[in-house]
Amino acid sequence: MLRIIQQFIIIFLLILSLAALPMIIEVNSAENKLEWNFEQLPKIYGSFISEVSKGSLGSYQLGTQVREIEQDIGDNFLTSLKVMLIGVNASIIISLLFGIFLSRFRLTKIFNFFINILAAIPDFIIIIMSMILAVKIYRWTGIRVISLRPDAGALNTWFPTLLVAIAPTLYLFKLIAVKYFQTSSEDYIKTAVAKGMSLNYINFQHVYKNIEPFITAELVKVISLAIGNLFIIEYILNVSGITKFIFQSNEIQPIAIGLFAMLLISAIVYVSVRLVFYLFKRGFIYE
Amino acid sequence: MNKLLKINFSLYIGIFCVSLLLFLCVFGPMMASHSLTETLETQYTDGKVISPPMEPFESKDYPLGTDKWGYDLLSMIFHGIRYTVFIALAITLIKMLVGTVLGLYIGQWKRTPSWMIAFENAWSYVPLFLILYFFMRPINFNSQLETNTLLGYFILIASIISIPSIVSSVRLKTAELNKSVYIEAARALGASRNRLIWKHIFPQLKETILVMFILEIVYVITIMGQLALVNIFVGGTLVRFDPLIYLSVTKELSGLVGQARLNIYGNTHILIVPLIVLLFTTISFSLLANGLKNRFQSNYARTPWIKIGQVPRMKPVRKQFGEKSKFRSPSGEKLAFLSLIIVFIGAGTYVYLTKDSDVGVKNFSKAAYEMQLEMDENGEFDTAVTIQVKNKSDDDWDELVFYFIPNVFKEGHAFESVKGSAKVKMKEIEVNGEKADYSLEKDTLKIVLPNNMKEKRKHTVKVEYEFTPPEQGVRFSKEKDNYYLAQWYPMLATYQNGKWNKEDYSDGVETYHVDFANYRVEYKLPEGYTLISSAEKDPKPGVNKGTVKMKKVRDFFIAVTKDMDIHETTANDGVKIRLFTKSDHDKKIDDSLALAKGALSFYQEKIGAYPHKQLDIILDNGPFMEYPGVVTINPYIQDMNFYRTSIVHEIAHQYFYGVVANDQYNEGWIDEGITEFATSMYFYAAENQREEQAFAIPKHRMDLIKEAGLGRQYSNVPVHELKHTGYMYGQPTVELLKMMKVKYRLKGDDVKEVSMQFLSDYYHHFMYKEVNTEEFVRFTKDYFLVPSGYFNGWLNK
Repeated sequence: MLRIIQQFIIIFLLILSLAALPMIIEVNSAENKLEWNFEQLPKIYGSFISEVSKGSLGSYQLGTQVREIEQDIGDNFLTSLKVMLIGVNASIIISLLFGIFLSRFRLTKIFNFFINILAAIPDFIIIIMSMILAVKIYRWTGIRVISLRPDAGALNTWFPTLLVAIAPTLYLFKLIAVKYFQTSSEDYIKTAVAKGMSLNYINFQHVYKNIEPFITAELVKVISLAIGNLFIIEYILNVSGITKFIFQSNEIQPIAIGLFAMLLISAIVYVSVRLVFYLFKRGFIYE
Repeated sequence: MNKLLKINFSLYIGIFCVSLLLFLCVFGPMMASHSLTETLETQYTDGKVISPPMEPFESKDYPLGTDKWGYDLLSMIFHGIRYTVFIALAITLIKMLVGTVLGLYIGQWKRTPSWMIAFENAWSYVPLFLILYFFMRPINFNSQLETNTLLGYFILIASIISIPSIVSSVRLKTAELNKSVYIEAARALGASRNRLIWKHIFPQLKETILVMFILEIVYVITIMGQLALVNIFVGGTLVRFDPLIYLSVTKELSGLVGQARLNIYGNTHILIVPLIVLLFTTISFSLLANGLKNRFQSNYARTPWIKIGQVPRMKPVRKQFGEKSKFRSPSGEKLAFLSLIIVFIGAGTYVYLTKDSDVGVKNFSKAAYEMQLEMDENGEFDTAVTIQVKNKSDDDWDELVFYFIPNVFKEGHAFESVKGSAKVKMKEIEVNGEKADYSLEKDTLKIVLPNNMKEKRKHTVKVEYEFTPPEQGVRFSKEKDNYYLAQWYPMLATYQNGKWNKEDYSDGVETYHVDFANYRVEYKLPEGYTLISSAEKDPKPGVNKGTVKMKKVRDFFIAVTKDMDIHETTANDGVKIRLFTKSDHDKKIDDSLALAKGALSFYQEKIGAYPHKQLDIILDNGPFMEYPGVVTINPYIQDMNFYRTSIVHEIAHQYFYGVVANDQYNEGWIDEGITEFATSMYFYAAENQREEQAFAIPKHRMDLIKEAGLGRQYSNVPVHELKHTGYMYGQPTVELLKMMKVKYRLKGDDVKEVSMQFLSDYYHHFMYKEVNTEEFVRFTKDYFLVPSGYFNGWLNK
């Protein structure tokens, strides 16, 4: 418990210092040197805290107009949350399915091959290539696969969701495959096989139970991967999600609020994944 | 088939691809055919309009196409790839070194402090590119920091922020190993902590760390790519407004991808080409990591008990302990690796040696001369010349074409400037030991090659003849007791663009164009004569028999003199200046010698090393003329200013004629114009004359043209079209000066400094190459970032 509190305090401080970075780093044009304006820090944080303590989230600048963050953040938050929630959960389910339960089938080999190729390509290249592909598909068939208009609804969000899901799937699938390989050569599996248990039974009762802790341990990393890509994807595909606040301004208010909203989204996603695991265990595995 | 599947393909392909990448990183810029500032200009050729962006595989000059502004994509990639790979390597090296050492020691602790674990967890949550984004955003756009400073900051910050994750994974693995029984045993035996870490734990981890190292390289490139998508390019982003454009300063691969991001809608090749190269880069490293992992895994893996999908099937390669190393029969792998290294070095050497081969105009006929020269008391020269001719072209030659200039001065010639006439008697010509047919018209000597010799690439030509120079001739001349032998032997013409490039001799400016060649001359003179020649080691006065030789010069001049005074001085780098003169003129020798020394030293300092060890100046009646290592000056003219200028002019020719070659018939302005500019620059920069004074002669020439009402003419016209020599000498000088005055700020603070630096860079770029107008324009427009049209006023391109 203490560690979780520590962790939160550290993340909190990290976000605050990150949000202040653009305001304290400056190039001194006279001497062509980098300057850190640490003496600005109290002022920056002072204004942030006073704003938050008033109960408002503050304002941000959009073009020439100043808007209240409170008014706009709701929709953006929901969009990002939806993308993340569906993306991460889908990726965990898919990688578990193909990594363990369907691993022995021939069809999985094709999937496996496909994933291995994708895994060698960095995420951002996959993102660009899939966009080129989408444009090409529209050219060839006239079917609008994606839309870059923020108000286009599902057409605007399904593609980002898919892209967000790709990176965690690749990461998790590899991890699970390796762990499955290691686990399957353990002695207790040998014993189970010797007892004549079915493969499905072994997978559920012996293998999954031993692999789950690893997945839980890597969950933060997986969500972080998804968040990292979410930034890029929302920026490039023009999804009006939470990152809008972070990329569009130089002030601490929107950046910090945006990052905190991100943190909240991650927490919700984390809880949701744990919930899925819990339900899965209750349904299929004898404790 | 099974055996084939067991081969660790990803390791072999990975090693090959990574070596290819490293090769491109080291030698890429040398292989780039265009500079980063050179653009494809819209042009109309063969009924087709060629304009940027050019698609890939359409043009030989731009194999991967150009971007919207006409910059060559391949050249940008060649220049940029080293940034991508080396930055990724630097970051990975720093973070792995620090992270591994820290992780090993922290992993040994009995208990890891909880704040540290909390920090690691918190840190792993924040996407690293975001931290870099916030750090770089205030400083990266149109930055006033230098590129290297920005790179330094990027490397530093990127390494620091990714250290915690390395520490974390190394720490966990160390802690795991620390629990092993063998560590327990080592500890019980009294092993110190350092011993435990470096002798027991690290050896177990080093393979994992190696794989991690290579994977981290990919990870760093990924971060660079992510940053590029939000317009943070490593090494700086140039922002242009109206329309808003982001450009990468270093042309680093992910920057190229980032700056072409908006091309997904059209001209996709601008985006796809760098993207594919970047993909190749990351996949190469991934393959290598994967291959290494396969190898290590297959060595230590246990076999699974149940049927699972992903089973590595690699053949383990195990270390055999206690075996003597077999030098005699190295394994296939070692041989392959060795040959890869040899190919790497060989290809590197090749690229290094041929990096300048596309500079300059090509000539496909090469010659080497061996000559015997015997002079009798009556001033008749008996000569035998042996020429080794090489055909470097793909064509078969029907004939060999030579300049034989003495022939034009024979009895009945029409040159007013030549008082007497020459005697020339051709005795015999042999090709490859057989007597050959030839024709000799004016100064053109054509030797017919028999059918069986047409396909040969090498010919030995022997020409025997006798000659006497004309009294008071031009260059090739007899002045009282002195004989000046210029262009006195058959000079092989150049073979360019599939034909012999030989034009007829005419009075006035030079009309002959030959390539660099090696010379060896055996001579025999009557008593009392002295030989002065282009050679570095001329015989002492009075020696009348011997051999002189010279390598890589464009001409071999010989003066046979009697009773001339010698004055000597030394310029920079120990170059000896010898001045030969008679005492029947009014010019002061000391002043002339001092001027020559000053000019040569100035050029040595500002332009580059003088190509020879010795400079001979001969003062005698006749034209002002330059030859390799020798200049002739006429001291009998009245115009003192012209006399002084000419001395400097002919010395400047040692650089811009002697070393930088050009076709003097078709492109005469290249050496004369630039030499005149260099001459005026001497008076302007070294003697600090006022501009009007230093550039008086070229300006005077232009005034003469104006007075004569000749109108305008390009400088690069063949000699027979030239209306006035002013277009060849004065016009380039005036135009170059104009350009320097407008453009010097791009390169420096001072017109004089920039002008001399330009001459120096031009000289070094084209050393021992032939320049034509096109090459000059290409070099200069790139140098001062001007469009080709900038030269339209005086050059026809």
